[in-house]
Amino acid sequence: MPTIDARGKSCPMPIVLAAKALKEMAPGQTLTVVADDRAFPEDIRAWCRKTRHELVSLDSKERFFEAVVRKP
Amino acid sequence: MSQAAPAATSHSSASANDRLHALEAELRSLSARSLEHSTQLEAMASVLQNAGQKDQLSMVVFSGSLDRLIAAFVLATGAAAMGMKVAMFFTFWGTSALRRPARVKKSPLERMFGWMLPRGARKLPLSQMNMAGGGPAMIRHIMKKKGVASVEEMIELSKELGVEINVCSMSMDLLGLKPEELIDYPAMTYCGAAKFLETAAPGKITLFL
Repeated sequence: MPTIDARGKSCPMPIVLAAKALKEMAPGQTLTVVADDRAFPEDIRAWCRKTRHELVSLDSKERFFEAVVRKP
Repeated sequence: MSQAAPAATSHSSASANDRLHALEAELRSLSARSLEHSTQLEAMASVLQNAGQKDQLSMVVFSGSLDRLIAAFVLATGAAAMGMKVAMFFTFWGTSALRRPARVKKSPLERMFGWMLPRGARKLPLSQMNMAGGGPAMIRHIMKKKGVASVEEMIELSKELGVEINVCSMSMDLLGLKPEELIDYPAMTYCGAAKFLETAAPGKITLFL
């Protein structure tokens, strides 16, 4: 599964990188986004709602967050 | 509406036939009118739907300080990533952020302004705690450490994401800035108040920074 590692990058980079990666992907494909920005959980939720992507999962790991997003 | 029945009423079937025709005609005209009304309603609905409903962020970037430009470009790139149309309008001190070091022919007064205004995003002061340039240097250092993209990087990103940049030509004239000393930006146009107002009017979010 394609993965974007946005650890060490702050707002709005995790969202921007995820958006860019998903744009190149085919409908139905999923992307994993890893980020440690504190705003990431709220931002990725908002981004998915706004752009109608499916947030398959959002996990809080020890030092970072991991989201799986599916392109509609 | 109430069409008079024909004068000859002796033949009731003929009169009934006439009334039937009259009713048919009335029905046709009514249905034509209702069709007309429904198209009018549809048109009105689409106008209402579009008023203040365009998924667009419009920004007036008036300030030429680093902190405000960071905010402006974080929102611009963020909105573009959200799939929104983004239109930035640079005016007054904001135009300094779009400068690049370049030698251009100017009048003495223009040269003086040009010399005093920051030459590009890398040279912007902070609105607070500038400390003769020490503040921005410190902020830049911290930004790098914390993974915050620099304004220059975000300008590059904006290009890629299709953020529109408009520059107020009146401000450029006032500050003596020439198009040749602005950065290369594909979607950059020079404009005035009308262009901004027309662009921003149907949009959902408009900010003045």
